[in-house]
Amino acid sequence: MRRTLKPLFLYLAVAGIVIWTIAPYLWLIISSLSWKIDLLTVPLRWIPTRLTLENYYSLFFDRGGESVNVQLFIHSLGNSSVIALFTTTICLILGVLAAYAIARLRFKGSNFLVLGMMAIQLVPPIILVVPLYVIMRQMDLLDKRIGLILVNTSIVLPLVIWLMRGYFASIPTDLEDAARIDGCTHLGALMRVILPLSGPGLVSVMIFAFIASWNEYLYAFIFTNVDAKTLPVLIGEFSTKLGLEYLRIAAAGVLASLPPVLLALAFQRFIIRGLTAGAVK
Amino acid sequence: MKRSPVYLFVSLLLALSFLLTACGAPAAAPTEEAAPAATEAPPPAAEGETITVIFPKHEADLGGAFEARIREFEKESGVKVELIQSDWDSVADRVLPEMATNGSAYDVVEFDNGWVAEWCGAGWITPLSDFMAAGHTDDMIPGLVDLFSCPDGKLYGIVWNNDTRFFYYNATKLEAAGYTEPPKTWQELKDMSLAAKDKGVVPFGMAPFWNQEWSLGNEFHFWTYAFGGNIVDDKGCFQFKQDPNTLAALQFMMDSLKDGVSNPAGLTYDQAASQDVFLKGDSIFMPQGIAGLMAYTKDPAVSQVDGQIKVGLVPGVEAGQSAALTLPEAYAIPSGSQHKEAAWKFIEYMTSKETNKVLASEIGLLPIWVDLYADPDLTAKYPFWADFQAQLQTARGLSKLTWYGDFVDISTAEVHKALAGEQTAQQALDNMAAGLAQFECKP
Amino acid sequence: MNTSTTKSRFQLAFDNPRILGLALSAPAMLAILSVVLIPLVNSLWLSLQQRDLSRPQENAFIGLKNYVDLLGDPRYLNSLQATIKFSSFSVLLEILLGVAIAVVLNQNFRGRGFVRGLMILPWAMPSIVNAAMWKWIYNADYGALNALLTQLHVIENYQVWLANPQSATILVILANVWKETPFTVILVLAALQTIPDDLYEASRVDGATEWQSFLHITLPLILPVLMIAALLQFIWGFQTFELVYIVTGGGPFSTTELTTLRVYATTFRSLRFGYGAAMAYLTSLIVLIPAIVYIRSAYRKVVEL
Repeated sequence: MRRTLKPLFLYLAVAGIVIWTIAPYLWLIISSLSWKIDLLTVPLRWIPTRLTLENYYSLFFDRGGESVNVQLFIHSLGNSSVIALFTTTICLILGVLAAYAIARLRFKGSNFLVLGMMAIQLVPPIILVVPLYVIMRQMDLLDKRIGLILVNTSIVLPLVIWLMRGYFASIPTDLEDAARIDGCTHLGALMRVILPLSGPGLVSVMIFAFIASWNEYLYAFIFTNVDAKTLPVLIGEFSTKLGLEYLRIAAAGVLASLPPVLLALAFQRFIIRGLTAGAVK
Repeated sequence: MKRSPVYLFVSLLLALSFLLTACGAPAAAPTEEAAPAATEAPPPAAEGETITVIFPKHEADLGGAFEARIREFEKESGVKVELIQSDWDSVADRVLPEMATNGSAYDVVEFDNGWVAEWCGAGWITPLSDFMAAGHTDDMIPGLVDLFSCPDGKLYGIVWNNDTRFFYYNATKLEAAGYTEPPKTWQELKDMSLAAKDKGVVPFGMAPFWNQEWSLGNEFHFWTYAFGGNIVDDKGCFQFKQDPNTLAALQFMMDSLKDGVSNPAGLTYDQAASQDVFLKGDSIFMPQGIAGLMAYTKDPAVSQVDGQIKVGLVPGVEAGQSAALTLPEAYAIPSGSQHKEAAWKFIEYMTSKETNKVLASEIGLLPIWVDLYADPDLTAKYPFWADFQAQLQTARGLSKLTWYGDFVDISTAEVHKALAGEQTAQQALDNMAAGLAQFECKP
Repeated sequence: MNTSTTKSRFQLAFDNPRILGLALSAPAMLAILSVVLIPLVNSLWLSLQQRDLSRPQENAFIGLKNYVDLLGDPRYLNSLQATIKFSSFSVLLEILLGVAIAVVLNQNFRGRGFVRGLMILPWAMPSIVNAAMWKWIYNADYGALNALLTQLHVIENYQVWLANPQSATILVILANVWKETPFTVILVLAALQTIPDDLYEASRVDGATEWQSFLHITLPLILPVLMIAALLQFIWGFQTFELVYIVTGGGPFSTTELTTLRVYATTFRSLRFGYGAAMAYLTSLIVLIPAIVYIRSAYRKVVEL
């Protein structure tokens, strides 16, 4: 869709959007490069007089100790990546199939499935944590990446199904009908007609699924200890008995936000004009 | 279509694999009656045994001093240790599901002062008297040791972190306000704060940590004790409702906000934020500072008050009265542990006088052994410990209640409401009593 | 296209919508249920019991007593009201802002791709980092918000924003909206891509204004996705925990206390697992009913389209 907004308003709006989105993150970056005492000045200097890499340094090196921390940070990064990748892949495959079934195929129980999924989503995960902990322990899935992949799937899959169903539903049925008249099966129609058309939706759902799994905190926290610890859990541990270690969290947060953003930057061009222009004709 | 069966096949495979991994034993209910300590003597520790230990990282332990000591223990005893260290909150939340489901994942577990009655009631830990030689704790600070016994009289934990809090003040700023001696009464503290504020030395005398969170429960205890009051008696019966000192304490807290003694931002501050203000030099008094605060004052990354801070005694209602709060943490052995004997060896080693001295020397860990306060090496390194001595005698712990969680839950809400000026002190205490009525002890 | 008319019975059977539908959705349902079913049943059973872990001698089956007590628990009811307010206002702002931003990002301008990618940043941040960041921004003595407002001369003195119920609520919602809006933006942006240009061409030829195009073409076509986004955001609003726990702890005096904080305090701090489970399920139930009504009507709308 192209609207002919006056260029000035457009660029003002874009500037506003960028500032709104970036400003807090910029402050996070500045904080992570500062000494704590400099952030306590009034009036506040937005660009501090002196910058330091100490907060980043402390993520990777114990002051005066062995560099156990660098292993931890990179290890957690690796865990987060693997878990998110596998979860996203599984959820996309299973989710697209299920979403197609719900959106296009009238079968008994499809409504019930949708409502059931939503009902499950409404239950706060914190109440499921302890019984789930027992199950995971009995199946020796605690502190293992496969365990987290399984539980993350249970969280991300409903999201994928919900969203893909919405995108599928918004695609007119004419094309599929044409394909089926030509002899395509339902699945064929899915593969050859619907999926290509829902490209932008598919990409955005993939990004969401990845980020949802990457940032998942509660299950990752309760079900891991050291081996399968993910990045958000590691960041959550940057606190003392007195409170959060804000600057370390800022530094780690800056680093932890980068992979999902890079992923989005790489894939955003797929959320482009779809192939629908003229397709119905 | 040639492709469709393939996708179907893949889905079926995945479904099958989920089925296979999903069939498990039915979940046990989260609580089973945890069996108390075994009636027979536990088997002696075998060489090459591995135990899993979980406790928080001490905030002063930046270089891994505890871990180094644990590796020494491994060498000496032949017991391997899987160490899990993270922050206090994470340890608390991680430990709970395991304890609640009577698990055996941990052999030595963090045992916080606030959990004692709850864990005793739940039967989650093993009495250490089964392993301990008699008189082992005789030379430790008695007040600390007693905090970790259960109603049955047995000892269930030994302190590894003597987290007593002390009264610090900024002597330089106090002088600028016209005073050379720290306050001995709360009235004096109020006068000094207002004088300092008038002279523009600091915006407020204190920046307390009164955010509506767990530590407000600590604060409520501290101020009550400091005013000579009580929360509950030995049997757990309510004292806070009728004790005039408790009321006075709460009233003082509220008034300090109104009068300009306490920074109103304190309503939103946690302990770290409160400490930030003190280290910046924007407050004069830190009534509940950690033992390691002096080290922070010397760190230019966080402090502008190097050389200005001194230790005093917590003021009282009258001169000569003083009480402090201690929030110790201990090692305990879960009932479900499979390596209790080895676990005890660990505890014995890590709480020995020798280890205590090493850690005290390296990171300033406050000792639990009385003798160490007279140790020449340590007193040379930490001269301000002499000021701690007097306070340690008067330190009191948190209330030992099986409903301590509920207590904090309700008291923080009511106290915060009173501090914000939304209700009177008496109303707060009455509401607390009403909310906790189901736990009131029967006459 | 495969124009073969001979199909095996297997293929025919599978092409039957009913069988195929079940077969395609079964793996997904299995994946979810295998993780969730037993804990659900277990904790549901738990909610019918008195289970205070520190007082095991009092364990008992008490039926619906927990639920009845909850309905008379002022603190719980307060949290319910606070959560509904929090979630509703968040969703409203997220939808309004989300659509507006998506429309702008759909225009042609230099650097469009970069801005679109950047847009995900708030949503990509781990929630702990987001919460800690806003807590620091809102700090009463040294925070960036106070600094900004005083330097811009909007206010004279630093304020203790989080000690005032109204400002605390607004600021917490603001932090939540900042974090969650990108989700709506990207969803709507993707949906906007599927609207063919011809429709706008035709309406322009007919003399419609941009606003009219938006109202009559854009909005109806993105409505299905928008409604899903709204529902999801509402549900997620109810599951918000870290943000409020870290920024306000539920204060001032429980005015920003969400139900998730109550459940956490009841189970993990007070060790009252039966009551906590009942609290969780009662909350889910209370949200479920309007959600079902919403879905029914939304589904009908979508089908009509």
